[in-house]
Amino acid sequence: METRVWHYDGRSGERRMPALVPTSDERRFTLQGDGADPGPYAFADLEPHGTSHHERAFGLKGRPGWRITFLEFPPSEIAVQLPKPARYGAWIDRFGLWRSAGVLAVLAVLVVAFTLKLPPLLARLVPQSVEQRMGRLIVGNLGTYACSSPGGNAALKELGARLRQDGDVTIRVVHAPMINAVAFPGGQVVLFDGLIQNARSPDEVAGVLAHELGHVAHRDGMEALIRQYGLRLLLGGFDGNISGYGNALLNARYSRKAEAGADGYAIGRLQAANISPLPTAGLFARLAKQDEEPGNAAVVMTYLSSHPLSTSREQAFRTSAKPGAAYAPALSPDQWQALRAMCGDRPATAS
Amino acid sequence: MQEQAERGAFEFYGSWREYAPIAFTNLLLTIVTLGIYNFWGRTRTRRYLWSQTRFIDDRLEWTGTGRELLLGYIVVMVLVFVPVAGLNLLVGALAMRGTPEGAAAAGLLFFGLYLFLFMLGGLAIFRALRYRLSRTYWHGIRGGSDDQGFRYGLSYLWRMMLGSAAFGLLVPWALVTLWNERWNAMSFGPYPFRSGASSDGLMRRYLLFYLLPVALVIGGIVAVALSLWFGVTPQMAPGSVAPPLFLIVGFFVFYLLFLALFGLISLSFYAAYFRQAIGALTLGHLEFEFTARTKDWLTLMLGTIALVVCTLGIGSIFIGYRNWAFFIRHLRAYGSLDLDQFTQSTTRAPGQGEGLFDSLDMGAF
Repeated sequence: METRVWHYDGRSGERRMPALVPTSDERRFTLQGDGADPGPYAFADLEPHGTSHHERAFGLKGRPGWRITFLEFPPSEIAVQLPKPARYGAWIDRFGLWRSAGVLAVLAVLVVAFTLKLPPLLARLVPQSVEQRMGRLIVGNLGTYACSSPGGNAALKELGARLRQDGDVTIRVVHAPMINAVAFPGGQVVLFDGLIQNARSPDEVAGVLAHELGHVAHRDGMEALIRQYGLRLLLGGFDGNISGYGNALLNARYSRKAEAGADGYAIGRLQAANISPLPTAGLFARLAKQDEEPGNAAVVMTYLSSHPLSTSREQAFRTSAKPGAAYAPALSPDQWQALRAMCGDRPATAS
Repeated sequence: MQEQAERGAFEFYGSWREYAPIAFTNLLLTIVTLGIYNFWGRTRTRRYLWSQTRFIDDRLEWTGTGRELLLGYIVVMVLVFVPVAGLNLLVGALAMRGTPEGAAAAGLLFFGLYLFLFMLGGLAIFRALRYRLSRTYWHGIRGGSDDQGFRYGLSYLWRMMLGSAAFGLLVPWALVTLWNERWNAMSFGPYPFRSGASSDGLMRRYLLFYLLPVALVIGGIVAVALSLWFGVTPQMAPGSVAPPLFLIVGFFVFYLLFLALFGLISLSFYAAYFRQAIGALTLGHLEFEFTARTKDWLTLMLGTIALVVCTLGIGSIFIGYRNWAFFIRHLRAYGSLDLDQFTQSTTRAPGQGEGLFDSLDMGAF
């Protein structure tokens, strides 16, 4: 039986209808009749060109435009020699659609998970010197608001030293009515005067400060910046957008995990410094209550929006208190007064 | 060889039921590969659409591959976007210096960058057309172009600039001359495409499109002036909140009407442009015609919107199919093609796909 095929030779657009005749070893074939170039051609050089199983069109390796198309299903001795049509792409065809999709889905989840994990990893890769320079630049922007007095500075230093031994952290107070505290990159911690004025004891300030020191220790600030600005930050253009970075950190909402980590760090530090954690728990409870009162929202919200309060956070501080422990105040009354008076006699008010 | 009947040189006989398995598996694989499969998915779609399209006595064949498209994408990313991102950082650094020279240099650099990207847009349109023709086979013969498209990029830049500079009045001229320029650089088999479209008949519709906002603003001013002239003051019940609400709703309705009207007029311009441009195109002794009128385009658009909205977005996987079917359904060809003379294209086939085109996100043809 003769097997006729439609044939284009890729040189002219003329269609020929030669007969496809396999050679005796069945590895090759010739095209006979109707003016076709007889060949021979190797079956192994055929490339599938149809889009589905019922289209039996084939090209020839290295001959663009060369085609044969079987008009009917070819006899079995020819059919077994023909390459299978590609469907989804070589790899997926080999493993099957569903198996490939499953494997790829697992891979995709891993890639996404890794990408989400990337900011903390990258944050740890940023050299300390770069991070410190960045922190200085950002905080330098706050320069005009910074408060300073000999007594206040000494009290801050004392408090910092009690909470943390190493000296690469700079703590400042800025004259602003918001109840807030921020950890900028490079160990630059800023306390807002509003927080100090609102606090009823130095222990409350110590608790908030210890929390921010936790963010410093875990390099959460850098991570937040990398999350928000990504490659743009790492490519070294950070001089251009210092105020943007400062703002981003002021409004940064850390993940629940980062907040819990900083809380854990704070509780540990308070414990080590023999400062009671109960006032901090009290502060959280008070802020939450003040938030509900009308008129306070603008002042309190700045802290709450970047440090969402939850009963579990308050609980963590409350339960860490050891019954019967003889806690010492974070600062002496004189030091506490000096800290409160740092930004001048007139307390900053919300305006 | 064949004298073709007036109708039906082109025919699309695909069916959405046949295409659905392709579309859905593409969607699935694109999701699980985080978008990378998109290149292969698009290739599968085109292979199907082309293979279901008959021209005269045989169907078209798409021979492009997903790997080519991926390669094109990577090439563009490395050769264009990395340097541009670097330049961008440089502009930022210069601007931050705060000196007048720094600011001037940054401004100049930014302007240069903008021009460069605009030119790339033109280059992308040209290259995508060249790539598509070079991967389209019919009777074992393909199309292509020997032109690299850089001159077209420059031409695109200055024509579009000039077109917009004259208060946008020369935009139709720019569109039509650019159409001619890119198609005159293309060929299929031994025959070059020839396009001699002119913007003559387009200006009327374009002016409508152009003058509508002006007319509406003038109309609005006149209406306000008249109401003031006749001392008509709106009667308001004291303490009622209805008037502002009424005003807002009124404004909103007006805005929607304006958008709809504006869209309709731009669609009618677009329809006329396509009819005129394709109607002026020839290949050897073949002449082409595109029959879609504004009404047809509107049906296509409304259908697509309905499809996407009613399926909560999933229907968007069928947009390419709909557009192709629309395009082929309205495409006509007249004349004859001598198959003895119809020899293989001697143009160089581009090695990679439409990377530039993809990344700049420009439409087909």
